[in-house]
Amino acid sequence: MNSKLIKELPELVRNDIISEEVSHNIQKYYEGKGAATPNKLFLIFGVLGAALIGIGILLILAHNWDDFSRSIKTIIAFVPLVIGQLCVGYALVKKKGKTWKEASGTFLFFGIGISMALVSQIYNIPGDFGTYLLTWVVLSLPLIYLLKSNALALLHVVFLTYYSCEYGYGLGSYNPSPWLFFPLIFAVLPFYFNLLKQDATKNMVAILHWILPLSSVIVMGAFIKTEWEFLPLIYIILFGLIYNIGSSSLLKKERLRRNGYLVLGSLGTVILLLIMSFKDLWTELSFEILMNTQEVYMVVALFVMAISVMLFSFNKSEKEQSNLFKYVFIAFVVLFFIGITSPGIATIGVNILVFALGIIAIKKGTDGQHFGVLNYGLLIITTLIICRFFDTDLSFVIRGLLFVVIGVGFFLANYIMLKQKSRKEIRK
Amino acid sequence: MKNMKTIYIFGIFVALALVQLFIPAQMIWGREQVLKEGIAYKFKTRPVDPNDPFRGKYITLNYKLNSVETKDTLWTRNEDIYVKLSKDSLGFATVNKVSRSKFDVSDDFVKAKVRWYNSREHKVNFDLEFDRYYMEESKAYDAEVAYVESLRDSLPENDTYAIVHVKNGEAVLADVIINEMSIKDYVDKENKE
Repeated sequence: MNSKLIKELPELVRNDIISEEVSHNIQKYYEGKGAATPNKLFLIFGVLGAALIGIGILLILAHNWDDFSRSIKTIIAFVPLVIGQLCVGYALVKKKGKTWKEASGTFLFFGIGISMALVSQIYNIPGDFGTYLLTWVVLSLPLIYLLKSNALALLHVVFLTYYSCEYGYGLGSYNPSPWLFFPLIFAVLPFYFNLLKQDATKNMVAILHWILPLSSVIVMGAFIKTEWEFLPLIYIILFGLIYNIGSSSLLKKERLRRNGYLVLGSLGTVILLLIMSFKDLWTELSFEILMNTQEVYMVVALFVMAISVMLFSFNKSEKEQSNLFKYVFIAFVVLFFIGITSPGIATIGVNILVFALGIIAIKKGTDGQHFGVLNYGLLIITTLIICRFFDTDLSFVIRGLLFVVIGVGFFLANYIMLKQKSRKEIRK
Repeated sequence: MKNMKTIYIFGIFVALALVQLFIPAQMIWGREQVLKEGIAYKFKTRPVDPNDPFRGKYITLNYKLNSVETKDTLWTRNEDIYVKLSKDSLGFATVNKVSRSKFDVSDDFVKAKVRWYNSREHKVNFDLEFDRYYMEESKAYDAEVAYVESLRDSLPENDTYAIVHVKNGEAVLADVIINEMSIKDYVDKENKE
């Protein structure tokens, strides 16, 4: 972008658009700005390089070379680990820069995995893949704090999620719950909060804003073992919790694309509600509630957390109070328990909820002049109507007319907002 | 003051590095002891070929020794079961006794997981834990094929077995033998022919 601008400068001067001095100043400005970028690039490539080399060595060794004797294999098992440790030690003692620390830490992370993988191969250790990942994650956890490393925090969350899925999901009901997910994910939170406090505009903060809620959404299902009926309830409360975190004062000022909590919470809530808007799902849901199960405890714990976050981030402004997205999980909990005895009422309730969410999103979009949010709201209502085609008997003419109306609605809503926006700009 | 902080951080790092080295070293040490001093048993088996994303190809061994008659009917799935071993006339492992707790150190026993209790035959079925044998990438599938072919060639049934060293309840799978030959060499030979 700026190199293109600099190339244009002589032409602008020639045509008397800008003076020689301004051209000189622009050039100087971009030169100064450019000096900081290679460093950042170097950091990213350093980490990527270290990670790729680490994974590469891991895969090469997974070939299980028969030609090496047991003792040689044992020595090879320790080489990447020790090299990684020496690099990290050097970076710590010599107080090297960020690039050094991030890259050496990443390499050491894979060094740990390599050494344990190779030892397992040499001695045919039967331990399953989940245990292997867990040992790996635990052994590298302190490095996040020692090196203050972003890359390691990211690797920690990714590999922890991988472990939890490997351990908790599986065929049959015999898979245990990955309880260790909680202490290990909490272990990374001080690092996350510290990063937030120091400089919330960093890209790394935004990545964590996305990856932390995503990880919890992926893993949560592994805690549902026998009472599958609770799945929608657990997930709607989780999405409610995530959404409320996203709209708390800590994150509210973030731009939408950096606020993974808000996006994931909102999308998750809407998709789950759309699924639950089918009557068949409710009629099959008739069950006895067993109070003394893991799933019930999960529901209670999540609900308490979601309510606390909601109250903590309670905003006095009227605009925020009317935001149904924040409270929708409470309404669903009520509907869920009504639905056990009367599925019909629950179905109607959920349909009303989805419709209301769509309207609110449209209103938010028009108020904030945000095309994305406006169309999100329109999309919610459209999807709801399409879903109702499946379980209601409407004639083709009416279906066709409905689609035409929706299409016109989309067009008009966007057109009107575009008009309003340009009028406002002209006024300015 | 700043220097002190570096020394602290470095000290913690050294401790961490030692733990990182200790874990694999301890895994090696325990297994070496069993291989050196443990008693070798032969377990009849049948190899199949899956793989692991990071640790590479291995063959899973399905042992013929997987159940024993017992009057205890309260076995539940995935419970630990200790299997005391003895040898038959050909040196193959047989079950002497099973128990919920460890046997005496002087006995040879291994840990297994209960699969299910067959109340009709009064038998408890279990999985022995040493069921993974890592092999060179190119050989794992061939090993499975070689085993199937060795059956077709009507070699005696007890021709495929695993050698497992046992000491103090710890077991290390040392080798898998087909037709009196290590499975690695057997696959090589088959490939050359």
